[in-house]
Amino acid sequence: MKVSLNWLNEYIELPTQDPLELRNVLAALGHEVEGVEALEAAWSDVVIAKVLSIDAHPKADKVRVCSVTTGGDPIQVVCGAWNFGSGAVVPFALPGAVLPGDFKIGIREIRGVESKGMICSEKELDLGDDHTGILVLDDDAPIGVPFADWVELPDVVFDLTITPNRPDAMSMIGIARDLGAYYGVPLKLPTAELESTPGKTSTKVTIEAIDGCSRFVLREMKDVKIGPSPYWMKRRLRAAGMRPIANIVDVTNYVMMETGHPLHAFDGDRLAGDSLTIRWAEDGEKVMTLDDVERTLRSSDLVICDAEGPTSMAGVMGGARSEVVEATTRVLLEAASWDSPTILRTSRRHDLRSEASMRFERGVDPNLGLFASARAVRLLHESGGGTVVETPVDVIARKIEPREIELPISEVERTLGPGIDSEFIANALKGIGMEVEGDDPLRVRVPTFRPDVERPIDLIEEIARLRGFDWFGVSVPSGSGGSLTGEQKRTRRVRETLAGVGLNQAVNLSFVGEADLDRLGYPADHEARMVVRVINPLREEESLLRTTLLPGLLRNAQFNVSHGIEQVGLFEVGKVFFNRPDEEDPRIPEQPDHLGFVVAGGFLGDGLSGSVVEVDFYTAAGITRLVGSRLGIETMELSAADAPGYHPGRCAEVSVNGTRIGFVGELHPTAAEAYDLPGRIAVGELDLSNLVGPVSLRQNAAPSVFPRVEFDLAFLVDLEMPADRLLRVTRDAGGGLVESARVFDEYVGGSDGRKSLGIHYVLRANDRTLTNEDVAPVRGSMVEAAAGIGAKLRG
Amino acid sequence: MEEIELVVASAPQAISGAKNLDELEELESNLVGKRSKLLEIQKGMGSLSPEEKPIVGKALQEARGTIVSLLQRKRAELELAAANSLLEDDRVDVTIERLRLNQGTFHLIQQTIDEVCDIFLGLGYSVAEGPEAELGFYNFDALNTPPTHPARAESDTMYLDFGDPADEALLRTQTSPMQVRWMEKHEPPVHVVVPGKVYRNDTIDASHLPVFHQIEGLAVDNDIKFSDLKGTLAHFAREYFGPKTVVRFRPHFFPFTEPSAELDVSCFACDGSGCRVCGGAGWIEMLGCGMVDPNVFDAVGYDQTKVTGFAFGIGVERLAMVRHAIHKVRHFVDNDIRFLRQYA
Repeated sequence: MKVSLNWLNEYIELPTQDPLELRNVLAALGHEVEGVEALEAAWSDVVIAKVLSIDAHPKADKVRVCSVTTGGDPIQVVCGAWNFGSGAVVPFALPGAVLPGDFKIGIREIRGVESKGMICSEKELDLGDDHTGILVLDDDAPIGVPFADWVELPDVVFDLTITPNRPDAMSMIGIARDLGAYYGVPLKLPTAELESTPGKTSTKVTIEAIDGCSRFVLREMKDVKIGPSPYWMKRRLRAAGMRPIANIVDVTNYVMMETGHPLHAFDGDRLAGDSLTIRWAEDGEKVMTLDDVERTLRSSDLVICDAEGPTSMAGVMGGARSEVVEATTRVLLEAASWDSPTILRTSRRHDLRSEASMRFERGVDPNLGLFASARAVRLLHESGGGTVVETPVDVIARKIEPREIELPISEVERTLGPGIDSEFIANALKGIGMEVEGDDPLRVRVPTFRPDVERPIDLIEEIARLRGFDWFGVSVPSGSGGSLTGEQKRTRRVRETLAGVGLNQAVNLSFVGEADLDRLGYPADHEARMVVRVINPLREEESLLRTTLLPGLLRNAQFNVSHGIEQVGLFEVGKVFFNRPDEEDPRIPEQPDHLGFVVAGGFLGDGLSGSVVEVDFYTAAGITRLVGSRLGIETMELSAADAPGYHPGRCAEVSVNGTRIGFVGELHPTAAEAYDLPGRIAVGELDLSNLVGPVSLRQNAAPSVFPRVEFDLAFLVDLEMPADRLLRVTRDAGGGLVESARVFDEYVGGSDGRKSLGIHYVLRANDRTLTNEDVAPVRGSMVEAAAGIGAKLRG
Repeated sequence: MEEIELVVASAPQAISGAKNLDELEELESNLVGKRSKLLEIQKGMGSLSPEEKPIVGKALQEARGTIVSLLQRKRAELELAAANSLLEDDRVDVTIERLRLNQGTFHLIQQTIDEVCDIFLGLGYSVAEGPEAELGFYNFDALNTPPTHPARAESDTMYLDFGDPADEALLRTQTSPMQVRWMEKHEPPVHVVVPGKVYRNDTIDASHLPVFHQIEGLAVDNDIKFSDLKGTLAHFAREYFGPKTVVRFRPHFFPFTEPSAELDVSCFACDGSGCRVCGGAGWIEMLGCGMVDPNVFDAVGYDQTKVTGFAFGIGVERLAMVRHAIHKVRHFVDNDIRFLRQYA
């Protein structure tokens, strides 16, 4: 909301006009200042003058010779505009004046006639675009006064963001009240006293929608003449960011900005019949709003109806049928208090948010309507004449009374700490319009313009705000001895491990589309298809919650490859979502943390030495095993698997303690192609909770001090025989002496459908140096055990 | 005897003139070896008188000792030179990066979360994550946000097709629901921070993402006051932005805190004098906070007459953007490795 300092000055005598200080005070009161605009007069030496007489120019028929006065002797000036007559009050640039554009005004001769100065147009003063004629001022504008003073320049406009709990602050008076409470100066409310004609507003008003409208005030004005608003009002409206139009609409806007109460003007003669009914709309009912758009209503919308049905969308937009037009003479001014959530819903649904709906959304004081409407008809009467019908219609569907709150000082201290004296508290609350009685507890009567103040804590907030947050000290309470949980520590270790081998952590949005799941070839009954659907997604491609991290990571890889990055290594740790109840809270979907990774184009190193490791299945397996060993998981196993999305011959199921935690391997070439990824792509995705869960603490095994014995064995095995099995069997046969066993050679290509595995064994004892006599039988039983599973020792 | 003295006298010059080990070997042979004058003299000793023999013998021995010692010193010298020459040949251009070891990186979002969590771990807070797919109750109702609140509109919040529609499954719009879940499970005192993803129905532009990150903080005890909120967050700001950081609290509104505040920090780039980073204001809007609203305590079954507390919500992207001069939030989700690797 834009707040003009000059406008504020009407309601309060501020001890300062310094924009910087006021900016800080407003912010300290909770009204965030988005901007401060200094408005300056763009001229010098322009005063208000009255045209005394106008004569024809003896030698020119396009201009006239005027005689004006600024309070003293008549001044002769030649003027080319014809939109005024004698008696007009005008802005007059004295000789020596400088107008916008460094336009210097002097004494000139125009075709033989001396012209001392210039009568100005709006455009020449940079106040508007109108240059069709000179700017004719209000008749009562004071002659001789500097024009800048009269148009309230210079001025400062603060652009404030008002928080949603402060409907009262959506007005000049509200802001002035807050500043008054801060500075301890009184608020001067504007007068709404009327010169009215005895009589009653004849329209009958019925509130059927009791929940929708607590109070409805209707004031009648007769013999109104539609015309322009006085200049001062136009200027203030412009400063507040509103466009002046004509007196009636300008007055409703002006009073809304002044008091915070939106008003609506009906043309009394264009309403059908002489009664208005406030009711809920019927589903499908239609109303033509004053922007000439036909709106279809729902039963949750409020309408004001005349004899022909809905003629206004209550609180949101008036109807075209009863709109004030140029010929309007009888005005019915509505000041109603509408249900906030209803207005919010209606204005959002119809995309019709306005200054008025914004105020109703927050809650307009139901007891302000009489004052606001009186203030409006008074201003209208001042500017456009017309007679005010004395007694308005005032229908109260629900009486809203000021609230009483008891506030013990101990409650204040419990939240704010000690030290704020009760006199300060009482004065601060009185400053914002509360009535305060008693010492402890204070009995506080809350005006109805503060619907947000319902409980002691709401008063405490006001006290803190008016005391100023800076006033309070600082202290740092000690916590309750928190630390990372074991799972959190081990999750950090997982990330460190992956970053340690060169992978970069990615963070993706949690959405996928059906196409992502199709690309990875998940069959209909696959777990990855157990998606939770977003009811109101941004886009179809982001309409599902991800069940797998792979689509995001593969898109990231695609992005990087397409930007010329040759080696891509990424991992992500994040939640996936399955359409089945969570174990702990079955009302929400299961949402485990997963770990995913993708490696493409080479792994580790990109120096001149060309030490790039080619990416294949073993990249994925190596990364996975490293994570397992870094977490101290001794039971991690990889076994051949065929999972969707993976290369059928290059995929492993990963298990921990016999529980499957995911798959790793090479991306299926079809999927790689779908993501434009060249070559072999290593990917993997594991359920993190099974990885970072508790592990038994490693107990020390002191390293042996005795020398080791090494030998290689080569076995011929069936192609399907996992090397892992051979290693395990031979290891087990080693009787605890096998320190390590590792495949160093794999040869497939014999015609017999078998493969050769070369295994390097290291044996060592803890208590002695192994001799040939020790090793030979061990080796023998290892070979024998291998034979037992069909592995034949090669010659 | 003169011949011996002659040999000894000429030896140092000959030895020091040796240019390499081969020459030295040759010299050795000539001076003390088979072809040497000294050996010749020794062989001719038989013709000497018994009186002369020991004198010449001793002289020979001394001469040999002197020369051998010179030879040894020279050998050591030449050997060192030869070794140095080998090393010289081994010289490399140290400016060529022949081996580049690529450590990976944590995402800047992660680094920021870790750093903030570590600050609060230092204050004795726990760290908890919560569900991202939440319920209307936790995300709104229990946080004093009534069903009519605008934030609950479909234009702001993404709803999920899951479970009983009355439960309003949704993607949490803030990390605050975890306040409620945590308090349901723990008795006071409570000190916890909750990092994680949050969701809003926003299309991606320079400053909006539909998914971003927050860190929620909550402290509840029987005597927590407004000054504790101020002190804790001032401590956080100094830890994160530097010891000179000054903070400013402004009243604000959030449904689940009262009084509510926004925290501004003095611009770390200009120390508050105004610059491009802070848009000339000297202050940077940093986070929302406040004293826990008593209605929240009611919702979790705490006795609102016995406990007080404060809560805050930190925008992770915002922290990182401010500190690292990142102008487009989009960088955080592109996962461009060139972006990620800047923040090692």
